[in-house]
Amino acid sequence: MPELSTPLRIRPLDELDIGSIVRIDERVGGTYRPDYWEGRVMFYLRRDPQASQVAVSDGKVVGFMLADVRAGEFGLEEPSGWIERFGIDPDYRGRDIGRALFQAIAAHFRAMGVAKIRTLAIQSDAVSGFLTKLGFAPAPLVALEMMVPADREQR
Amino acid sequence: MKFEKITLEKKYHDAVEHWRRHYLKDYDSLIENWDRYFPQDEAFCLCAKLELGTPGTVSVGEHAGEKKRVKPDELTEEEAKHLLAIIRAQASTEFGSIQQHAGTLERAQDDEDRFWVLRVMAEELRHGYQMFHLLLSQDWSRASGGVKGETMVEEILSMQTGSHVLDAFNLEYDSFVDNIVFAALIDRVGKYQLTMQKVCAYKPMADSMPPMLREEAFHLAAGVIPMRRWARRAAEGDPLITMSMIQKSVNKWFPRGLEMFGDERGGDSNLRMGFKDLKNREAQDQYIEEVRRMVRDINSRFVRARFPEYLPEKAEQVLVELERSRGSHRGVAFDELLRLPDRRFFRRKGEPAFAMVGVDGETFSDAREYLRHLAKHLPESYMASRDLRNYGDVLKRIVSGELSVAEGVMKMPKLKRVGGTCPCSRSVRWVMEEPSSGNSDAAAPR
Repeated sequence: MPELSTPLRIRPLDELDIGSIVRIDERVGGTYRPDYWEGRVMFYLRRDPQASQVAVSDGKVVGFMLADVRAGEFGLEEPSGWIERFGIDPDYRGRDIGRALFQAIAAHFRAMGVAKIRTLAIQSDAVSGFLTKLGFAPAPLVALEMMVPADREQR
Repeated sequence: MKFEKITLEKKYHDAVEHWRRHYLKDYDSLIENWDRYFPQDEAFCLCAKLELGTPGTVSVGEHAGEKKRVKPDELTEEEAKHLLAIIRAQASTEFGSIQQHAGTLERAQDDEDRFWVLRVMAEELRHGYQMFHLLLSQDWSRASGGVKGETMVEEILSMQTGSHVLDAFNLEYDSFVDNIVFAALIDRVGKYQLTMQKVCAYKPMADSMPPMLREEAFHLAAGVIPMRRWARRAAEGDPLITMSMIQKSVNKWFPRGLEMFGDERGGDSNLRMGFKDLKNREAQDQYIEEVRRMVRDINSRFVRARFPEYLPEKAEQVLVELERSRGSHRGVAFDELLRLPDRRFFRRKGEPAFAMVGVDGETFSDAREYLRHLAKHLPESYMASRDLRNYGDVLKRIVSGELSVAEGVMKMPKLKRVGGTCPCSRSVRWVMEEPSSGNSDAAAPR
């Protein structure tokens, strides 16, 4: 685990961070997905470039958190701050970088007049432990899913 | 991050709409397809947006600590003239870029790229509209020598490619590659200017910047992401796009982008008056480093696509080695990668104006030889342009001693409005400007 030789800097996401996000995602998940991240970064940049944040240490992006404000989805009329994806370079874990990213995003949400922050996570994932530490708690809203029924089942 | 939306008085709003029908013909198509290409995004609004809750105190310059000005009459006459020049130049660039984009928009190979650029154009229209709000919401007559806001608006709407205040907005695009490279390089200068102006001592100007900056983030992505995708296609051997095509366009726009910061030796007035927080050279230095990062990012995309079996560390190693040796690796030559031209390359304004420096920093003493170098490194269709011909003529006269560099800078022809109000009237003509006292740091915004 390298020491941070320069202070951690949290700043808004920009279009030149795509390569770094692809690198972190590849290190975490083992798959190189530049096309996917080009699409996601464009989505967040065009909606609200101040909402998504990256963490920079030693001149290198070592973490990211993608977020935006939405209203009117799933019957939730009030604006909600949504956190969709985040990732920390495995070499830089255990340094509260995720918390620092979250705090920057929470400050932006506050300025936008948002009262509630929402996200979805796989329950057994270690990620949910991180989210609980940040203050997230299970919501009354339940995520449901099913396979698309075959043609004959619908008839 | 809350803002107030403002609509211009009807006659001005209608004038912008009229202009839009001439130069942004696909606007209706953009609106019809908005949800398809920009799902969940807020609908486009042709309006001015003023951020609420921004600092009310001047943070830089000789008025630091004082209350920000909210009317031109609260500025000194010098300050008001200086700021008015910035606002007019900025308005000109916003409308100018739409005219440039329009020329080659239909040549996009990909519909998504085309709609991204269309949205960029619509948002530039909104930025021009924003500047009109600044011109029209207050009385600038003391600074404008009695010229009314109405006349200033009319003048800006009458400009065509060639008559805009900054050179980057007077060049025709040669292909859709220019649309994309322009967004990545020239809009990036725009981001710098807007960021610097967030501190502006004139509060309505400062309040205009955050909403524009949010939109500018999309414009940069609309340049960089297609360039990344083109780099992948080029690496995969797609004959319809090559790194050389992208490089030549970068060589065309990068020098003009650098000049948009104003003369490297200037910028003191902006800082002193509290309109910007960086001098020209400081901002230009930061811009160069950012473009270098962009070039690196695109090259990295190219190498990974060419060698999909390589792990990221190996690809990075290959890139570093290619940059160091300028050699080749398994069929990929250094020349296939993008590279940043020397900051003195193909300059015609600022400190290195007409210095005859090549893309890699090599120097030339013969004008014809330098023009041959340019021909090798710029898009072919651009070499055949009037802009290059004029540049070449002036360069030869400078090298022969017939003109000084300062005279050469002034001899570059510009188009000027000579009458008429509607762009249909083709009211702009080629004219040669007489040398006049220029303020090297007066206006280089966008």
